[in-house]
Amino acid sequence: MALTFKDLHWAKNIQVQQYLQPGTLEEALEILANFGGRARVIAGGTDVVPQLRRRNIEVEALVDVTGIPGLDGIDQDGENIALGGLVTHAQVASSDLIRKKALLLSEGAGSVGSPQIRNIATVAGNLISGQPAADTSIPLLALDATVTIAGRDGERKVPLTEFFLDKGKTVLDCTREILIRIQFKGLIENEGGCYLRLAKRKALTLPMLVLAAVVNADLGKGIINRAAIALGPVAPVPYRAANVEGFLKGAPISDETFAAAANMGMQECTPRDSCLRGSCDYRQEMSKVFIKRGLSRAIAQIGS
Amino acid sequence: MNALTLSFTLNGNDVSLEISPNTLLVDLLRDKLRLTGTKVGCREGECGACTVLLDGTPVNSCILPAAKVQGKSLTTIEGLAQKNGQLTEIQEAFMHEGAAQCGFCTPGMIMNSTALLENNPQPNEQEIRQALSGTLCRCTGYRKIVQAVATAGEMKKSQG
Amino acid sequence: MQDTTEGKRKVQVHTKEKPDLDQLLGEPEKKLAVAGHSITRTDDPGKVTGKLMYGADYPQEGFLHGKILRSPHPHALIKSVDIEKAIELPGVAAVLTGKDVPGRNGFGAILPDQPVICEDKVRYVGDGVALVAAETEEIAHEALSLIRVEYEVLPAVFDPRDALEPDAPKVHEGGNLLSDNKLRKGNVEKGFREADIIMERTYQVPFLEHAYLEPDVTLAVPQRDGTMLVEGPMQAPFTVRRNLAAVLGVPVNRVRVRQIHMGGGFGGKEDSPIDIGCRAAVLANHTGQPVRIALEREEVTLQTCKRHPMIMEVKIGARKDGKLLAFEGVIYDEQGAYAGLGPVIPPAGGSHIHSMVMMPGPYEIPHAKVDAYLCYTNHPYGGAMRGFGAPQVHIAHEQMIDELAGELGLDPFEVRHINAFRLGSATATGQVLDQSVGLLDTLEACAEAFRWKERFGKNEYLNAESSKRRGIGMGMGWYRTSIGTAGDGCGANVYVHEDGSVLLYSGITEMGQGAFTVLPQICAEELGVAMEDVRLVQPDTDQVPESGPTVGSRSTTLMGNAIIMAVRQVKTSILEMASDMLRVPVERLEAKNRLIYDREKPHKSLAFKEVAARCMAMGKRLIGQGWWTPPAASLDPETGQGSPYFVYTYSTHMAEVLVDVETGEVEVTDYVAAFDVGKAINPKALEGQIEGGVAMGLGYALMEEVAMVDGIPQNLNLQDYLIPTTLDMPDVKPIVLEVENKLGPYGAKGIGEMPNIPATPAILNAISDACGGRVRSLPADPERVFMAIREAGGPPER
Repeated sequence: MALTFKDLHWAKNIQVQQYLQPGTLEEALEILANFGGRARVIAGGTDVVPQLRRRNIEVEALVDVTGIPGLDGIDQDGENIALGGLVTHAQVASSDLIRKKALLLSEGAGSVGSPQIRNIATVAGNLISGQPAADTSIPLLALDATVTIAGRDGERKVPLTEFFLDKGKTVLDCTREILIRIQFKGLIENEGGCYLRLAKRKALTLPMLVLAAVVNADLGKGIINRAAIALGPVAPVPYRAANVEGFLKGAPISDETFAAAANMGMQECTPRDSCLRGSCDYRQEMSKVFIKRGLSRAIAQIGS
Repeated sequence: MNALTLSFTLNGNDVSLEISPNTLLVDLLRDKLRLTGTKVGCREGECGACTVLLDGTPVNSCILPAAKVQGKSLTTIEGLAQKNGQLTEIQEAFMHEGAAQCGFCTPGMIMNSTALLENNPQPNEQEIRQALSGTLCRCTGYRKIVQAVATAGEMKKSQG
Repeated sequence: MQDTTEGKRKVQVHTKEKPDLDQLLGEPEKKLAVAGHSITRTDDPGKVTGKLMYGADYPQEGFLHGKILRSPHPHALIKSVDIEKAIELPGVAAVLTGKDVPGRNGFGAILPDQPVICEDKVRYVGDGVALVAAETEEIAHEALSLIRVEYEVLPAVFDPRDALEPDAPKVHEGGNLLSDNKLRKGNVEKGFREADIIMERTYQVPFLEHAYLEPDVTLAVPQRDGTMLVEGPMQAPFTVRRNLAAVLGVPVNRVRVRQIHMGGGFGGKEDSPIDIGCRAAVLANHTGQPVRIALEREEVTLQTCKRHPMIMEVKIGARKDGKLLAFEGVIYDEQGAYAGLGPVIPPAGGSHIHSMVMMPGPYEIPHAKVDAYLCYTNHPYGGAMRGFGAPQVHIAHEQMIDELAGELGLDPFEVRHINAFRLGSATATGQVLDQSVGLLDTLEACAEAFRWKERFGKNEYLNAESSKRRGIGMGMGWYRTSIGTAGDGCGANVYVHEDGSVLLYSGITEMGQGAFTVLPQICAEELGVAMEDVRLVQPDTDQVPESGPTVGSRSTTLMGNAIIMAVRQVKTSILEMASDMLRVPVERLEAKNRLIYDREKPHKSLAFKEVAARCMAMGKRLIGQGWWTPPAASLDPETGQGSPYFVYTYSTHMAEVLVDVETGEVEVTDYVAAFDVGKAINPKALEGQIEGGVAMGLGYALMEEVAMVDGIPQNLNLQDYLIPTTLDMPDVKPIVLEVENKLGPYGAKGIGEMPNIPATPAILNAISDACGGRVRSLPADPERVFMAIREAGGPPER
């Protein structure tokens, strides 16, 4: 792989001709439309700014959406929980509501980067990064979340299972659209969740493997009704282990079940060999460990 | 490039100036305003040496577009000491405990500690380590830094 | 983790002085007033307020911005360099190629084999091919992108063993074997024949990055008188100066170099300032204008020196009671593209020969043989990094000792106790350790504080359900004070003024280790004044005497001694004058706490400044100069026998870890480190060195590595080059012992590097104890630990 100029020479600054701060959603969408693809949305900027500095992306203008009102709340409507598009990782990590109803998401959000990053980086931004192991993408995928995307033509809702297209790429066009809401159902009475992360140190580091599980079980009968298992990076996008989930439907709660699910999951997962974050062999072995742990801990969480 | 007019509060004073749209906050502080106490270690938001307080919240200024401080209140290391030169408890504690070696991470550590103590006046060791987990230090192994934050908490408490 | 908010921890210092009777009679018992105390660092107020200026904080107005065009190939011929478009760019002041270097187109801390600007070929990814100076950084960056270089790619070599093959690509004309060194003591064949057990292992360590928080920066300013001033963060102003002079083609006295307070050095800023300093100076010289070069973090990792990777083959023979009989080692020491700090400076300078000397460890071994090969490769070059070749070999011998103990069914404490150096021991180079050997004291003190005996053999899983298992491990170490060259000397000047205030001139630099506090402490102590009375002048080669570099843990000892010598010259005047004024014989006078007083009648005293004023008035010399060199180093080039370094610091570390046997994750949960430092001049600062050094050793053990693929470093920024965060570090408990160094200021010897050395093997040994898997190729990240457990046949039984 030949090295290019920008692999060897780093700039101090970013190259942006305009920095716009619209006060409403409509204004923001209009500005984006006018730039015809030469501008993009920036929220916290913790992904966008380093990318600009590395010259991985190039834009003429940045449209800062953090001034748009009404997008920074965490709202509850029955079992439904909605995060505004500007809700930060710090908010989610410390929210009493989310810690109570979807602890796996709080834990995921609380694992991103560092306190300084979490203070301004948005969960929406984490989804939009399209990284296969993004720490909020994985739990939200297990929670069967839906996102609402606002564009010039109106709003559209996209289930998260259809949101990710490829590594670094989602259905959202950040030069035209803004992610304004993330919705999911909190865990109900006979449900438990789990979030697990494998990394080489305890902060400020990208993970080798992330897993989130939501299990709905009848403890009395000792049966798993339903399980959602999301993990990454085992594919170009955050991954739902569909085969494993199918196997677990109606399966008895037992170590044998967990072991069988783990083996099955390992077959399904095809992580790459990463120079910095683990070989394929190791990450497959860890998928096995995590699926087993994820299931047993999620079930242990039921009723607590 | 379209210049922006930026108005914000900096270390308690109102400031208004023109910046180019690609300006990052750390460069605004260091190059334009000559406040060099905030350091650049990585330009990726990975080391925390550039931490400043935006409306009291710690953020990495190296990856923050300067425009984002519009209408907000910003505190840097230079803004901590009193007008008469008296230092804050955390600054005193750092010196007393020997928590600074090369000193490059010190402003970042102090800003993060200041925000922590504001919200949690007597944090325990785990809370301190968690709050400082986004600021790297290569010299100290963190032990005396953690002790300094605890000491500052004690100092604040004894002052009532 | 222990909550330390309750109660204050006191610095615990255990003094074990071995009094020398002659000394006692000659010098009555001294109680130290300034040295030996945890005085607040002189530069702390600047650090906590943000007022202290680092290199990048100085105003940039009037400076051109310099940048370096780097090679994308690890090994290639340069066919052509087209700078036309770059030169034409508005705002560009200069674009330079190899022919534009006015003097020697080569720099280096030991051998000047690295081109300032490569002319015929490039030898590693990041090698400098052209230089640009422009009005802004943006323009300089753009100009770089407009330079067209045509390369002819050559086959490259990336492994030191491959580099030794006869048909290997030649990195330099003279071949890839830069240095071939031998240590021969006794007869290892005999030793192995007599051994009850013989074991062989191979250990491997990767490239490490210093990761000092402050990226490199330099300012080159042509002076009106035609001289060149270069300033910036740097550990070795004199080494920088001599390189600059040669590169500019001027005498040494036409170059001036000034140190700016460093945001960390760790050995890396011993030679990186030579690199960017020479390049900035060439640009400044060419344009006639000040030039600033500031590296971005990624460029620091890409371009500057690294810790030498090594492959170490070890074979030991021992009796079944654990007594070592024979040690045989082979070191493949990867120097990388340029000589850096590897080659031998006779008799025992340079990191390579130091590694060879240290290889058998701090143990009495009758028969030892080491063959050490220093090889060029097309990788980044090896410089100095905290330990200078010792950390690597400690990883080998300390793990080997544990592996031996395991095979013999013995406690690793016992095996070390039997073999460890004591007073009178002979090292593998045949050096008899005739003073200041506190190794066993550290072993015993550490074991006591850590409760080793209680905990050994008791490793277990956290509970019935947990996959985490506890283990403990230890590492012992020794490290020299001084650099082992023939020319290891240190000079200091002390000027006392008419009001009793003092100027101290020393070329030792401050990188956070506390030199700017410790050295004035020594000066104030010896002179009998207060700390505030002494002002240390910023190291400037036009002002301070030659001091050598701030490396090798030599500063406190060598410079401390030089300062004491300088002070004694002035003190002669002071005491003679005071004797005159008080009418008391000189021998009865004591200088302490700003007073000169009669020891027998302490109320008979004068203020120091009063005496100083009178000296000035009467033309009595108040200028002192000291020059201190260690006892001559010796090392036979054929046999590696001799006394290469005059005194050593000793240390024992013990660690407890929790290993998740299913994932390989390691957490360090308890840590004690004991040191024999001779004398702690500033106990709190010394504790800080220990705690920070352990962090660096932990990083080496668990997470640090510059990953190279086809000669290309994969992790240039701090997101991917991992150093420990607050959440990765345990609470480290330091224990400081003082077994006096008779040749050190107040008994002190060096401490800067020692703390990070035994930490790595202590943790690796603990991991093995916890999970049965041994990682012999670092770092012991989760995957490697997992694989080691697998290789060992699976996790330990419950």
